[in-house]
Order: sequence, then C-alpha cells, then structure tokens
Amino acid sequence: MHVTSSVRTPLVLGGKTYADVTEDVIRHVEGKPTKEWKIALGLSMVVLAFGTASVFWTWWEGLGVWGLNKTVGWAWDITNFVWWVGIGHAGTLISAVLLLFRQKWRTSINRAAEAMTIFAVLCAASFIVMHMGRPWMAYWALPLPNTFGSLWVNFNSPLVWDVFAISTYFSVSCLFWYVGLVPDLASIRDRAKNKVSKYIYGTLAMGWNGGAKSWSRYEYISLILAGLSTPLVLSVHTIVSMDFATSVIPGWHTTIFPPYFVAGAIFSGFAMVQTLMLVTRVVYKLEDYITIEHIDSMNKIITLTGSIVGVAYLTEFFIAWYSGVEYERYAFVNRAFGPYWWAYWAMMTCNVISPQLFWFKSLRRSVSFTFLISIVVNIGMWFERFVIIVTSLHRDYLPSSWAMFSPTIFDIGDYVFSFGFFFTCFFLFSKFLPVVNMAEVKAIIKTASEKLPKNVSGVSKDERLAEASK
Amino acid sequence: MSDISGKFLVGIFDDDDVILSAVKKVKQAGVKVHEVYSPFAIHGMDDAIGHPRTKIGIAAFIFGTIGCLCALTLTIWTMGIDWPMVIGGKDPISIPNFIPITFELTVLFTAFGMTLGFFVTNGLGPSVKPLLFDPRCTDNKFVMAIDLAKNKLAESDIITMLKNAGAEEVSVKSI
Amino acid sequence: MASHHDHPLPTLEERYEFTSESKRNLLIGGAVGLALVALGAYLLSQGGGHEAQEAVAHAAGAHEAHGAAAHAAGEHASEAHAGHGHAYHWSKRLWANLWLNSVYFTGISVIGMFFISYNYLAQAGWSVIFKRIPEAMPAFLPVTGTIMVATYFLAGHDMFHWTNEALFDKASPEYDPIIAGKRPFLNPTFYVIRMVLYFTLWYMLWKMVRGFSLEEDRVGGVDNYEKSIKFGTAFLVVFAVTSSTAAWDFVMTIDTHWFSTMFGWYTLASWHVAGLATMTLTIISLKQHGYLKSVNESHMHDLGKFCFAFSIFWTYVWFSQFLLIYYANLPEETIYYKERFSGYGGIYKGPFFINIFLNFVFPFLLLMARDSKRTMGVLKVACWAIIIGHYFDFWNNIMPGTVGANGGFGPVEFGMVLIFACAFIWSVKHQLTKANLVPVNHPMLEESLHHDIV
Repeated sequence: MHVTSSVRTPLVLGGKTYADVTEDVIRHVEGKPTKEWKIALGLSMVVLAFGTASVFWTWWEGLGVWGLNKTVGWAWDITNFVWWVGIGHAGTLISAVLLLFRQKWRTSINRAAEAMTIFAVLCAASFIVMHMGRPWMAYWALPLPNTFGSLWVNFNSPLVWDVFAISTYFSVSCLFWYVGLVPDLASIRDRAKNKVSKYIYGTLAMGWNGGAKSWSRYEYISLILAGLSTPLVLSVHTIVSMDFATSVIPGWHTTIFPPYFVAGAIFSGFAMVQTLMLVTRVVYKLEDYITIEHIDSMNKIITLTGSIVGVAYLTEFFIAWYSGVEYERYAFVNRAFGPYWWAYWAMMTCNVISPQLFWFKSLRRSVSFTFLISIVVNIGMWFERFVIIVTSLHRDYLPSSWAMFSPTIFDIGDYVFSFGFFFTCFFLFSKFLPVVNMAEVKAIIKTASEKLPKNVSGVSKDERLAEASK
Repeated sequence: MSDISGKFLVGIFDDDDVILSAVKKVKQAGVKVHEVYSPFAIHGMDDAIGHPRTKIGIAAFIFGTIGCLCALTLTIWTMGIDWPMVIGGKDPISIPNFIPITFELTVLFTAFGMTLGFFVTNGLGPSVKPLLFDPRCTDNKFVMAIDLAKNKLAESDIITMLKNAGAEEVSVKSI
Repeated sequence: MASHHDHPLPTLEERYEFTSESKRNLLIGGAVGLALVALGAYLLSQGGGHEAQEAVAHAAGAHEAHGAAAHAAGEHASEAHAGHGHAYHWSKRLWANLWLNSVYFTGISVIGMFFISYNYLAQAGWSVIFKRIPEAMPAFLPVTGTIMVATYFLAGHDMFHWTNEALFDKASPEYDPIIAGKRPFLNPTFYVIRMVLYFTLWYMLWKMVRGFSLEEDRVGGVDNYEKSIKFGTAFLVVFAVTSSTAAWDFVMTIDTHWFSTMFGWYTLASWHVAGLATMTLTIISLKQHGYLKSVNESHMHDLGKFCFAFSIFWTYVWFSQFLLIYYANLPEETIYYKERFSGYGGIYKGPFFINIFLNFVFPFLLLMARDSKRTMGVLKVACWAIIIGHYFDFWNNIMPGTVGANGGFGPVEFGMVLIFACAFIWSVKHQLTKANLVPVNHPMLEESLHHDIV
C-alpha cells in the first residue's frame, strides 16, 4: 500500500481519470496535425535546409571555411558538441536518477526529456563527424583490425573513449526510451481506428498486453536500466571532460573537470527540458500534468546544479592561484580579463547569478520568468564551453603564436544546422508519439492527484462514442 | 504467449485496488488466476497472483561480465600484444587508460542483453499479435483472466466470486 | 491526498535506554584504547622510529624506508621530506593519529546533518522513521573540533609544513616561493578562524534543526517541518563551500605544494559514504537490540542502495582524480601518487590497494544483489568494510605527508581508533536517549511506516 503525506503538493490537477490521461495524451497523436504544428515544422525544416547547405559546403571545401586560427584548432565545433552532449544529459537524468530517487514528478516529463536527449546526442555527434573534415573516413574511429592501416586505434586516447561513450550512451538511451514507450504504443494500437496506424503502432508495441508478469519485468528492467544509466550519464560527460583534462593545457588540465562537467550538463539539460516543456504544455494543453509544481521542482534542480557549477568555477579559480603554477594562473586571469572577457562574464552572469534568482519562490513559480531563465542558462552554458575551449587555446605557452578566433558564416551555419535538425526531430516526435508517459502518470493518479474523481477509471473513448451514437 | 488456448473467465474491474484485493480473495478461495492485465503496473500484483520473481537480473550480470571481459581483451590485446606501443610514456598495457572503455562496454552489453531478455521472456516481438482479453486493459480497465481448464471449481461459482469481489462484467472467452 | 488507514503497526513509542552495562563496555573499550596508545607510544619512544616489531604488514618496508625517503627527497624536493629535515620525533605519530581520527570522525558526524538536510530538501519520506540516528551523529562535532584546534596549537608544526615561518622569509635558506605565494590563505590566524568557523556553523545549524525536530515531537503540526527545510537548505549552502575548504584545510595542505581541484569533493564523497555506512550499521544494531521495530526490509534495501551507490560515487571521484593525474603526469601533481606508490620504501602501496578493495570492489560485489541489501548480516559486513576502508583512505592521505617513512599500523593506530569510536558511540547513544526513537509527529511518518519497495 502506498501512503502519501498531506504535506506533499499534488502533481496531477483537474481530477483526472485513467481514461482522461489516455485521451489527453493520445488526442494529439490521433488528430490531424494542427496549423501551428505545420508552421513550426515547416520553419524548422527551412532552418535545417539552410544548415544542411552550410554543412555540405564545409565538407566540400574543407575545414578552412571555419574561423580556426593557429593554435585555436578547436572552437565552435567542439563547443557545440559539448553543449549538445550536455543538453543530452537531462533526459536520462530525469528518467534514471529521479526514478531511483522515486521522485514522482518525473513521470510527466520523462518521455519528452528522453526524446530530447536522443536528438541532442545526435546533434552532438554531427559535430564530431563535421570536425573530422573528411566524414567518409569516420569509420577510422572504430576499433577495426589493422588491415585498414598499419595500426589499431589508440585506446589510450580520450577521443576514442568518447566514441565508445557517446555511442553507448546513444544506444542505451534509445533502449530506455523505447522500453518505456512500449506500453503507451500498445494503448495507441488498441484505440487506433485506421489500419495503417494500427499496423505501425501495433508493430512498434510488439504485442504488449499489460500482463502482470510483463509489468513486473518492465518495472524491474526499468530500475536496472536506470541503475546502469546513472553511472553511464556520469561517464559520458566525464569522458567528454577528459578530452580536455588529460592534456597539459592550462585551464584544461584540472581534476575537478569530470564531476563539474556532469553538473553543468545536467544544468543545461534541465534548462532545455524546461524550455521545451513550457511550450509543449501550453500547445498540447497539458497544464494539468505538467504543473507549476513540476516547473518549481525543475527550477530547484537548475539552481542546485547551477550552484554546483558555481562552486566548481570558484574552486578552479582558487586552486589556480593556490597552485602557484604561473601558466595556470595566467589562463584564469586571461579568461576573466583577457580579450575574451565578455564571454567569461556572460558565462558567469548566466550560469552562476541568474539561477540564484530562483531562491525567490514567486520567480521559481512564474512561467514567463522560468522560460527566460531557461534560455539564459543555455546561453551561459554555451559560453562556458566557448570560454574553456577558445580562451585556453588562443594563448598557449608561446606568445608568438597567440591568436584570436572569430567565427565565419560557416561556423554559424553549421551550428544553425543542429537547431534545424533538433527541432525537426522534436516536432515529429511530439506529433507521432505520446509526449507524456501515460502508464506512469496513471500509476501516480491515486497518490498524487489534487482531487480524485468518483470513478477513477473514467469513460474510455469507445464507450463515449458508443454512448453518443445511441 | 500465443501458445495459450482454452476457455477463460474474464473479469473486468475498474479500479486497481479493487482488482488487487479481488485477486487475493479468489486466490484464498482456491482459484488459480492466469494473469491480470492492467494499463499500468500495480504494486504487489505479481506477488498476489503468485508469479515467481523475474530472473532477468542474473542474465544482466552475465552479459555485463561478458562485456567487461570483451573490452579488456580488446584493449589489452590490441595495445599490448598485437602491436605494442608506448604512448605518453605509459606501459603498453596501462590498465587505468582502459577503464573508461571497459566501463562503457560493460554497460552496453548489460543493457542490451537485459532488454533482449525482457523481450524474449515476455514473448514480445514486432510481429507478435497481442493476446488481449479486452482491449480496454491498455486504457482504463483492469482485466483478470482465469483459465477454466486449470481450475476445479465450478464456472458459476467463480463468476459469483468475481462479481462479489467487485468485477463490473464477467464473461467467458475461448482462445 | 492523505490517507490514514488502520493498520496493525508496531508501537511508535520507543525510548532508547543507555544501559549501565553498555556504558561500562564503552569505558573499558576506551581504557583499552588508551592503554594501547600508551604501549604504542612507549614502543615508539624506545624504537626511535624503527617499528619493525609493530608494523603489522610492512615490517620489511619500514626498514628500507629511511634510505628510500632520503632518495625521494633528493629526487623531488617535496615539502614532506624537506619538512622532515629537522628530526623526526616519535610523538609526531601520536599527533598525526589524533588528527587523522578527528578528521575522520568529524566527517562521519557532520554527514548526519548532511543526510537530514538533503532528505528534507528532496522531500524524502522513506527515511523519516530512522531520522533520529543521523540526527544524533553531529553531536560529536564539538569534541572533534576541540581536539583539532588543540592539536593544531600543540602540534601544528608536526603536521603542517607551512607553519614553518622560515618558508616565507626571503632571507632564509628555507625560503620557498611557492609556499610563500599561498600566504594569504595559509597563515595561522586565518587557518584557525576557518577551523572555528566550520565547526561553529555546522554545529549551530545542527542545533537548530535538532531543536525543531524535538519540538515537533512535543507540539506536532507542520511549522517545524517547514523550518527544518529552511535551515537544512541553509546548511547545504554552507556545507557546499565549507566541505571543500575544510577538506583543503584539514588534509590537502598537509602536502603543502600539492593541489587538486577535485580534492574537496573527493573528501566529501569519502566522508559521505563512511557516514552512511555508520548510520546503517547503527540502525541495524538498534534493530537487533529490539529497537526500531517499524524499520522493515525495504528501509534496509534502500540504505543498502545508498551505501552501494555512494561507494561507486566515491570510486568515480577517486578514479577521475587519479586518472587525470596519472595521464597528464605533471611532476608537481604526480608526486602525490608516487609517494604513496613507491615512496618511503613502498609502505603505502599496500594500503593504497586495500583502499580500493574495501571501498569499491568488496561493497560493489557484495551489495549488487537485491537480497544482500535486505539481509542485515550481509549489509553489516559491507558497512564495516566501508568504514574501515575509508579510514584507510584518510590514513593514506594524511600519513605520508606527516610521518612519512615512519608510518605504520601498530598499537597507537588501533588504540586511537578505539578511543574515538567509543567516544563517538557514547555521544550517539547519549543523544538517542534524549528523544523518542521515532519522530512521532513528522508529517511524512506514515509514508515511511508504509515504505514498501520491490
């Protein structure tokens, strides 16, 4: 028996029945696409087309079209890569970590967050392929026997670790997402009226019938997958951070990088989930499921992770001074007061100061303010990666090779590509798949509803239609 | 799952707590419940029916061990034996450097092996026709199926029992 | 939403009794510890630093230690060795042990407060039923705090190389520009202020939250619950900064030249899991003595998960720090691991691996299975491994920089641990008698009583 304390705030409003949950979520999958959706998808596809042209030109001409300069061999490409991978952490975090901690509020947002994760990781991967310059050689990163060349790939290299980490993370995230989708796909299948969707959703649902045995295995593997994904999420950004931290470049080689990158990733990922959910809940009228309480909880996590990142910034700064290492000290002074000072202070303001405003309850629960901050945070997190990468590289040990980086239209165009891709995927997802995990929301209705309807089961669509036709 | 056939008594319920207590009641009266179908996981249901605990965990552990060993073999053999190389002044076999890949492959094998096990043991697959006693069990209803061939009690007795335990509708279905 | 069902539950009225028998046992334990320390001190004073008789596992290593240390000092002028340039006195090992145990038990104590605070913030319901146990732990803070301040004044020079004024004097041959650069942070006044500040803040905030908790027992309502969330959060904010700075102050500055940005979180991870294990062990032992009747297998399972997960977290932090230093191989950083690996005749190499084994391999394999987390016997073994393992962790971080080649395990070490453990247990037991073992008016109590997981 589950007991819920009276001090807990409700997570589902409006006295929903089980049938209401199905109806509210599947309605969008079954209905004709709305005009707004078509416009939004159309716009994303235009952006995607522009971006694709830019990427195509980058490959056609070579990486010379980017603004890379002397020692600045990594700039926007890897900044964007790390940024997207970071965003791609929240989905699994919400599903896995919050599942392990039994935070019930995750049920309304986990599906969309996981989908977002997958698309974000794809965007990130696109920059890895892009920065190879010759993407047709991408398979060289795989551990293939040395008949392809004289040597094996170097398993001591963090870049190769990254190949393993990102691909594992991507595939396990897909798995996690898909397993969670199966019961919901079955719900769509059993309501579907036309043959095509019955066939498609039926195939995807793999014959799920909601038997108790299946459910207990479902719950079991969800827990284990969560238990696996949690260290996996940590490992992915840890390994990304090691791309930098294993080197001996000042500002990069610092031991706090792994957990600090992970915290930053969660921070930006939550902000992105927040941005998307604030829009989705209004467009799909899901305010009863994605409530102010959910927004409030997410804002708390944004503040928490933002503060962890803040502590890490200060730690880095302090230890750079404390270490007495001349180069390390200079790297940090250069970040704050060098030619890229504006990037540094943009990062500081967006990441450390702005989330602290969420200490005020009224701001934390204000939808428009939350939306603003969610975007500010992601701007800040982009600048963080830019600061780490470019300000560390542009002035290395040898002053004669000091240089500046400025982006070209292709740097920007390739970044735009990822937005086009991301939003196109997200809009397609939000139309054809249920954006809220119905099964899990139904499971918390009784314990987390604001008020319970008399008949919690409700009237299903078929019954309602039959009633109407009488 | 498709190998099931026979005559089933199907009780439809509209509340998860009611069906849970109904299962307990009919079990106590000596009825063997075939399965309960519900739109979401009901806490304690498999214990109430008497399903054994799943063993997917053991499979997961075995898959994980295989993944771990594969990764260590791959890295140690390629870097240390097949073409030994000194990189960054380290030993050709520098275990700390191989830990990240070992971890990733362990997780990869565990996750895929376990999910495979999940689909196989549940009899799920792309072309599987779902065994549905009532299609509303993926929406808002809770369905209890009782295999009449495996129960000695009279059909009518079980029907009364189900109705008394809160079933909305009870029907007989042959599969 | 609140559902109050009539369920047969064990009574919630549970008064802990601190029996005279257990008091006597603790006193005897403390006395034995004291005797061991005295014996160890005598042996040390007689042996003049040669402890072949007493170093349990490293008898051979200790003999070669002197030569190795001298060699190491020549190879890289680390402060640890330079510091030992002026004669090693056997009393140093006593002080180092006093410091080590104070740091370790400070951590375990403060984690009690940390646990309560984040449980309040996360609105956790399941842990309410045994909340009084972590709540009792921080009462030990004034003891360790006093010992640490006293130790600093009495023997700071034996522990901290940077307390040597000559290092900052340009005219002195011992002048060290790197350490001199750290002067604004590493100076006695600021150091003592910081130390006092940590203990005061931690203890005062605990006092507040403890006060609310006891008052809640008397008056009920949700006011005290709300206030606990506020002050718990305040503690978390304070602890976010002070846990790192305390780790630098208490441990990292011993190896004065060395630095690692991870060190604060690494120490926190170590303290945290040790605190969780202590908490779990206390709960099991209370349960086995007939208390905490409402703690069920699900609670045990979750406590086991905590110990399991945070053992892995510690390993993650430990490994990240190690790997990055190992990989980049910068001399000013790598020296830290080199000393522990091959320095001082290799006496620290054994504990280095014991550390990883007890803190990762053993609890990881033992606690992986579901049923082992639900079996009190197994959980107990895992908790002991973690507690002992993290002692080694701190031992390995503190000893090389303080006693160097003269480190080891002997009567002093065992005795000192025994004294601290007995005192800590006394303090916890004493606190437990002050209130009902179950916080009867906590608004989430019902959830905890019905905690049931698969």
